[in-house]
Amino acid sequence: MTSDDSALLIVAHGSTVNPASSAPTLAHTTEIRRRKVFADVGCAFWKEEPSLRDALFLFDSQSVREVYVVPNFISEGYFTQTVVPRELGLKGRTTKRSDGQIWKYCEPVGNHPLMTDLLLRRAHQIAAGIPESETSLLIVAHGTDLNENSAAAAKREAEKIRSLGKYAAVLNVYMEEPPLVSDWRKLTKTRNVVVVPFFISDGLHSYEDIPALLGIANQLSARLRSAGRHTARQANSSHAARGEIFRHNPYAIDNRSLSYAPSIGTDPGVADIIIEQAANFDAES
Amino acid sequence: MPNSIERVLQAALAAPFYFGQILIQKTSTGGFVLSHRDDEGRNDLQTFRSTEDAIDIAKYDDAGNYRPLKTAPNLRRGWRLELATLAELKCALDYFYSGRLDVFVAWKSGQLHTTPLRQTLDRQSGMYRIAAKISDEQADRVVGDFCRSDGGCLRTILWKRDTRGTVSSTKLPSEKFDPDFDQAAARAPSSACAEATADKTTAATIPLLCQEACNLLIAECRKVVKGE
Ligand code: SF4
Repeated sequence: MTSDDSALLIVAHGSTVNPASSAPTLAHTTEIRRRKVFADVGCAFWKEEPSLRDALFLFDSQSVREVYVVPNFISEGYFTQTVVPRELGLKGRTTKRSDGQIWKYCEPVGNHPLMTDLLLRRAHQIAAGIPESETSLLIVAHGTDLNENSAAAAKREAEKIRSLGKYAAVLNVYMEEPPLVSDWRKLTKTRNVVVVPFFISDGLHSYEDIPALLGIANQLSARLRSAGRHTARQANSSHAARGEIFRHNPYAIDNRSLSYAPSIGTDPGVADIIIEQAANFDAES
Repeated sequence: MPNSIERVLQAALAAPFYFGQILIQKTSTGGFVLSHRDDEGRNDLQTFRSTEDAIDIAKYDDAGNYRPLKTAPNLRRGWRLELATLAELKCALDYFYSGRLDVFVAWKSGQLHTTPLRQTLDRQSGMYRIAAKISDEQADRVVGDFCRSDGGCLRTILWKRDTRGTVSSTKLPSEKFDPDFDQAAARAPSSACAEATADKTTAATIPLLCQEACNLLIAECRKVVKGE
């Protein structure tokens, strides 16, 4: 990988309804561009612009000889295996275009071992000063999903963190199947609980659904109301948009202390992982 | 060495020019000022100075709704973006209309491939597979309605309905397929169009090109097939 004729393309899902969906991908793109590791850095989305089909025209074949494609996805699945290769016309790990440009299809972000460090760092940051040995760490995944591999990836991460013996307990919980997020009180025995969604971006799930399941959504609305900052309706709709829910940790609830993190994919450290996945491509071939 | 997009911008910057709903002007100090084209001449605009501000400006319309299609004619008004360099200008324009400059450059150099609607539909999988069942008449109507420049999308359509070269929609005026036509000047109905073009500027435009049906149009085709 040389920086003067290699480009990076970050591909992600995006959304037609939720602006938070593409925000981390745009931020990682900007950050990697700033570092000048590649001659050119672009991103493309299934549901937003530029589209995956637009991506075919993003890199000038005169100046860019190689394009590393890194899927900003939590795991392999329908999008990384079917949609992205089809839309980009990829024929396997390496594809040579008619103009000679070579496209290298890298592993998704969530597969990288550094994800574990990122989870640990994030869990530590949002519950600063709370001893891990007296804390249960909950990693949230969708559960029943188009993409069953995301649950497997979350399980793998929990396993790895558990084996470090840092936390009193490390559990996988799901939104739609047991063990359920909403059962966190029953599932955990420690006073301190830290919850990290294992998603690539924030959105309705992390802003509203999980807080409601955890029982912290109402607490936040009540707090904002009593502080005179919002009416009930405003508190509900506007805090969702601004990620206010993450700014009031830890929540005191039923004699427990609960800290709730933004989705793991919003961590700036994902930019390093994206670069690593591109570097890994050549290391593995 | 400036890349091909910067060269295109440099050439366009000989005078103020339009890119979709954006007016781009060079300042006397070598910088650039961007604003909504309908805000030309206003002096009560909120000033922004970072390329990343373009992401936020482009995100919501004037009513505060999220804009899933950035080339829809609903860019919000009331702002002015001041940028210092050509690289910043390129970056900001890419945040406003992602990928459109690249596609324009590919088109200018004869490297743009267009994909007929039927091929895009046939390629779909999963929940969108069913969209391919759309009839020609239905497709004609959906495209005519969804892609129209007055209220739908400001791109110039370069794709055909099928490999036989059938026009993408008979419901759209021929200008919709003409890269030289300023789609943002299109107003419904025709009388307004004449007025709008008469009192508005003669500034050059870089067209927003559509080389292939977007995912939103495919979703719309799916809805029609499912009778939603
Ligand atoms: S298909 Fe092209 S012209 Fe039609 S709405 Fe989508 S982007 Fe616009």
